[in-house]
Amino acid sequence: MPFLKFLTVLLLFISFPVFSQKPVPALQQSEAILIKGGIAHTGEGTIINNSLIGFTDGIITLIDSTNGNADLSKYSKVIDATGKHIYPGFIATNTIIGLVEIPAVRATRDHSETGNLNPNVRSLIAFNTDSKIIPTTRTNGVLITQATPFGGWISGTSSLMDLDGWNWQDAVNTPDIGIHLFWQNEFSFGGRRGDRDPKLQLQEGYSKFISEIRTLFSDAKAYSQLSEPVYNGRLESMRDLFSGEKILFIHVNYAKDIITSVEFALKADVQKVVIVGGAESYKVLDFLKEKSIPVLVRDIFSLPLTQSDEIDIQFKLPKILSDNGILFGFDMSNESTQARNLPFAAGYTTAYGLTFEEALSAITFNIAKILGVDDKIGSLKVGKEATLFVSSGNALEITGNNVEHAFIKGKTLDLRNEQIELYERYKNKYGIK
Amino acid sequence: MKHLFYFLILLFCLSFTRSFHGQTIYPVNGPGDFRDITYALINGSIISSWDSEPLKGTLLIKMGKILAVGENLDIPKDAVVIDLGGKFLYPAFIDPYSSYGLSQVSKEAPPSNKPQYERSSEKFSYWNEALKPGFQSVSNFSVSGKDASELRKLGFGAVLSLNKDGILRGTAPLVLLSDLHEVQNIILPAAVTAYSFNKGTSQQAYPGSLIGAIALIRQFLYDADWYQKGGSTEYYEALESFSKTNHLPKLFEADNWQNALRVNSIAGEFKLNFVVKGGGNEYQRINEIKKTGFSFILPLNFPAPYDVNDIYDADLIPFSSLKHWELAPGNPAAFANSNIPFAFTLEGLPDKKDFRKNIIKAISYGLPKSEALKALTTTPAEMINAGDQLGKLAQGFFANIVITDGDFFDENSSITETWVNGIRYRSSEIPETDIRGNYTLNIGEENFSLEITGKIDRPQAKITGTGLICKVTLNSEIVSFSIKTAGGDTSFSLSGTINGNGDITGSGKNTFNLPVTWKATKTSGFIPVVKSTTSSPPLQEVIYPFEAYGRKNVSSKPGRLLITNATVWTNEAEGILENIDILLSNGKIEYIGENLLAPANVRVINAQGKHVTPGIIDEHSHIAITGGVNEGTQSSTAEVRISDAINSEDINIYRQLAGGVTIVQQLHGSANQIGGQSSLIKLRWGKTPEEMKFENAPGFIKFALGENVKQSNWGDNVNERYPQTRMGVEQYYYDIFTRAIEYGILKSKGGKNFRIDLDLEIILEILNGKRDITCHSYVQSEINMLMNVADSMGFKVNTFTHILEGYKVADKMKKHGANASAFSDWWGFKFEVYEAIPYNGAIMNKVGLNVAFNSDDAELARRLNLEAAKAVKYGGVSQEEALKFVTLNPAKMLKIDDRVGSIKTGKDADLVIWSDNPLSVSAKVETTIIDGIIYFDRISNDSMSSWIKEERERILKKMADSKNSGELSVKPERKKEIHYHCDTILENYIEESE
Repeated sequence: MPFLKFLTVLLLFISFPVFSQKPVPALQQSEAILIKGGIAHTGEGTIINNSLIGFTDGIITLIDSTNGNADLSKYSKVIDATGKHIYPGFIATNTIIGLVEIPAVRATRDHSETGNLNPNVRSLIAFNTDSKIIPTTRTNGVLITQATPFGGWISGTSSLMDLDGWNWQDAVNTPDIGIHLFWQNEFSFGGRRGDRDPKLQLQEGYSKFISEIRTLFSDAKAYSQLSEPVYNGRLESMRDLFSGEKILFIHVNYAKDIITSVEFALKADVQKVVIVGGAESYKVLDFLKEKSIPVLVRDIFSLPLTQSDEIDIQFKLPKILSDNGILFGFDMSNESTQARNLPFAAGYTTAYGLTFEEALSAITFNIAKILGVDDKIGSLKVGKEATLFVSSGNALEITGNNVEHAFIKGKTLDLRNEQIELYERYKNKYGIK
Repeated sequence: MKHLFYFLILLFCLSFTRSFHGQTIYPVNGPGDFRDITYALINGSIISSWDSEPLKGTLLIKMGKILAVGENLDIPKDAVVIDLGGKFLYPAFIDPYSSYGLSQVSKEAPPSNKPQYERSSEKFSYWNEALKPGFQSVSNFSVSGKDASELRKLGFGAVLSLNKDGILRGTAPLVLLSDLHEVQNIILPAAVTAYSFNKGTSQQAYPGSLIGAIALIRQFLYDADWYQKGGSTEYYEALESFSKTNHLPKLFEADNWQNALRVNSIAGEFKLNFVVKGGGNEYQRINEIKKTGFSFILPLNFPAPYDVNDIYDADLIPFSSLKHWELAPGNPAAFANSNIPFAFTLEGLPDKKDFRKNIIKAISYGLPKSEALKALTTTPAEMINAGDQLGKLAQGFFANIVITDGDFFDENSSITETWVNGIRYRSSEIPETDIRGNYTLNIGEENFSLEITGKIDRPQAKITGTGLICKVTLNSEIVSFSIKTAGGDTSFSLSGTINGNGDITGSGKNTFNLPVTWKATKTSGFIPVVKSTTSSPPLQEVIYPFEAYGRKNVSSKPGRLLITNATVWTNEAEGILENIDILLSNGKIEYIGENLLAPANVRVINAQGKHVTPGIIDEHSHIAITGGVNEGTQSSTAEVRISDAINSEDINIYRQLAGGVTIVQQLHGSANQIGGQSSLIKLRWGKTPEEMKFENAPGFIKFALGENVKQSNWGDNVNERYPQTRMGVEQYYYDIFTRAIEYGILKSKGGKNFRIDLDLEIILEILNGKRDITCHSYVQSEINMLMNVADSMGFKVNTFTHILEGYKVADKMKKHGANASAFSDWWGFKFEVYEAIPYNGAIMNKVGLNVAFNSDDAELARRLNLEAAKAVKYGGVSQEEALKFVTLNPAKMLKIDDRVGSIKTGKDADLVIWSDNPLSVSAKVETTIIDGIIYFDRISNDSMSSWIKEERERILKKMADSKNSGELSVKPERKKEIHYHCDTILENYIEESE
């Protein structure tokens, strides 16, 4: 029997690269870890060369440089990161990772509930921690996503998810972070890639939209003030909008619609509003600044809205927002498999005025601030969650991004994924080095 | 006997005067009402033809025709004399593009749940329902009193009545606009045959694109020729009727300049001539339009100004719409200046009442009046072989006359009556008598000078030399005046009638309500005047292309350029060289070396610290295509050609130049197994579609496999087209290649029975090694399958595109000799790409395949350099090798690497200057050069973008002014750009074409 047991273990060991298509969720951090000698990009705009980064029980306990005199004795595991780069985990907002596996296969779509008004549906419930997309995303440094429902006028409630976990309860970083309002305009456009009917349609329901949304928000406000309301799931879910515990994410791109929708939300007594998209936010800078509305900027890799727009307006937009003191991050709305390109989208703006550190902030620290979770994620800072990674090169450069170690709340991630495994399999087949 | 004598006398008389009642087969209810009347229109100012001066004289009409026109004609004693008092007589107008008297064609085809692949009815006709060459509009024609009256009021006397439905529309009659019976109004029952690219109400799936419509017309014309020469042993009603009517003038509804050029290419292939119905934007490429040699029918659909009060809405108006608004009224003038024959039509005018207003507008934009008149009379008449019957006031012509009280092209004048077929039609709004003129007004004891001016139906009165305010109203034959002082202390209310010499007499009341008698004695009548043409507003220049970032001048001669001190990615054995100069001359790379001496007159670009690479080549693109990218309605549509639908005005061309792209292969979509022929263009922004084509490009065709071909993701209703499985895909390939072999044998035999089949013709080219395949493919099984089919049928698959599981069969692909053109890292969007991996490119490269990365996406194409960088990240390809994935390697698979793809002496000067290492996210394109001409550079981009802003402001202000001056305006629209992908299927290819 012991031999058999040994054989089994041996077999498992030998065949490990072949059978383990799906990385095993990481175990809780059991020993204190120190990353030593690397170039730390804190996410808050600063760089620490020859850095020391220590974390214990999932929390960052040390940020220093090797020149300092910190007590390193408790760190039983030390990772040498000399010449390498350390970043806080990138945060991809408004993705459908975990909600949709294969967009073309209906059975794998769990992001869009029927009906127009679904503030109460919660993305974390459907979040599939076994999605094959997750391991391919975190290998590029994206460690946290906002899982967001799409569809209808109010698509539901999003949650921040760590890209590791045995189940959704395990993976949730911050539950029920906000409600998503998709602002309708007079015209509706066909959807995204591969849409078969992209022609302009007059949105006949625009006035219906306005009137129903108005009623819903005023009813929800009244409901929130009742001492003993008759339970209504939709209205109940909106209660926190009026206390500021939930954010209202308004998905909107055109200048006029930005003004209309923000004015609507503020008049409805919503406390925290975030613009998602904001392609034309450069036209309403004073308005956004005056109302302190942050913007999760539409995928940098998008075409201009109109033919006569500056051809590179989308690339320049972050610098414009930055110069005008408007808080912004880079968004990955409706993306799943492409969310792993978030760092390169951020990097792309460095040709148009941002520094690499500013671009980094826009996918880490700024986003944490916008989402109101900067007390626990978004930068390399003592007391924050140890969600971070080591890349051998500049992680915002395609040719530099090479994640060697990654941690979510201190847990050491298994950085293999099925794509790497298939790569290895066929390299072997063809005898490629 | 006596009776007989009288009868003979009567017969004798009749035979001289030839006043027979025309014979008709219709029985008359009761006694006939034939009137043998001559009309003499005297004192007219007769403009007998567009190019003649007004003639003061008389015009005689009899039996619907003009009997004579002249200065001193003898007026027959029995004639009805109509004194026109100096009014103008013009030949009545002809609309060569009307559908008068035909029932409206419903625009939308009725919805059906399932696509209809085969024709549904009429067993003898052509196989496609959109082609109805046997259709005779005349059989559906019926006189419509209301519509005829409306047209007559605008001055029209005859129209061509077309059934505007389908691609081949059959014949159309030339009809008069009188209220007589149909049989009396038809001049020519079949005056023309009509064509378009629009399949109209046909329910059949084919054609589902502009390229399909063009291929269908071509196939039909080949079939018609074959049939006429006795090639067929079968009877086809459609081909029979086509050959019977093919001698008639042919009208083609093009609706824009781009389609007009497409018509020209069909005309060239089949040696045909067309009269082309334009769309109003032809001024944008008037030189190309001139070269077609066609005559045109032009609409007067000048756009209304947008409502620009809301600055945010105003921002959304496309730049091209603003420019078009400003320039469109100059379209007719552009034709006239270029001596291109054209006629006007009412078609396309939302409100027909704007007809004259818009012609006057066109005149104010430089159209000579005589040309305007020609476009309403002689040109349309001659277009339809009726120049000897219509369009002039001359003996023997139809008595179709427009009579005006002033110059027709003066907005203050009115059409007082129209004659059609010798019948006089007076508008009820126009009074019988023109009261305008000068009078002595006598009220009781007092005398005043009265002056009546204004329009004939809306006269204005003025009493000169007093403070009296005078208003005149006309009610039937009663003329009423209301006269009072400003304070109202004196007033008269007068009503009277007009007598034979123009004086007006009647009764009335004075200030104290006491009766008065009065008389207005006419001292002089109203004299119509011809005003000289108003001055034209300064015309803004056309830009090329007619889109944002278009330029006023597009350089066509490459100058000499010297790029100095650059880091040069040669893609040759030399690799990446530092501090190198490149001299470009005559569109080619003339010299590469260190420290070149700048020759005289050479522009020098200092590229110190910058990188120079060959232009990026996108092997898989769908930009710059119009009217649909997928025919896709049959398993093979090899007959369609993307090159028929190049859209030179697509802003994505410019956007991609800014990403360093110089060449794209425009591919058919992947909706069917054998798509269409590919097109290869250089992104020569501003040139015409023809000029953009890569010269002597090798022939390629798109194939497709997998889910799109099986219609897996098209919804549950779409499950009838073969194939629905990968099994069926293989079987269809074997079948069609076998048929192509048979076709080849028939072709080599020749003879009159051989029928040209445009589909099999192309498949045969593949078998003969004259055309290469680019095949959309994902999973390994289907890739293997196609290579097996190819091996066994004796052809080669040149390129697998997408090829996301190429890494699984790279060895087999290498053996077959295929190239691979992949996405770098797309995956997971459908089931067949669930095992796609970003290491795919690197694996295939290392196995020894020629690998490219492509875009298939207008946005992604702007940064293909970064896609190349992914080959470095995923799989460790060297940087130098990775850049070849988007430059040299696609050039090789497109078989154009003898000209492009690397930086080498003698190759095309297609280069990109980058601010940084092109594989870095921080790199941006500074200059893009094609054929030695700079098509993009950062500095002129910035100045163009400021110019666009200024230009927008200027035009918006002008719009606001024109709105304030009373022009109706329309709300701006947010215009969605259409970006094609492989699987884009259009609902209506005509609405979405340019």
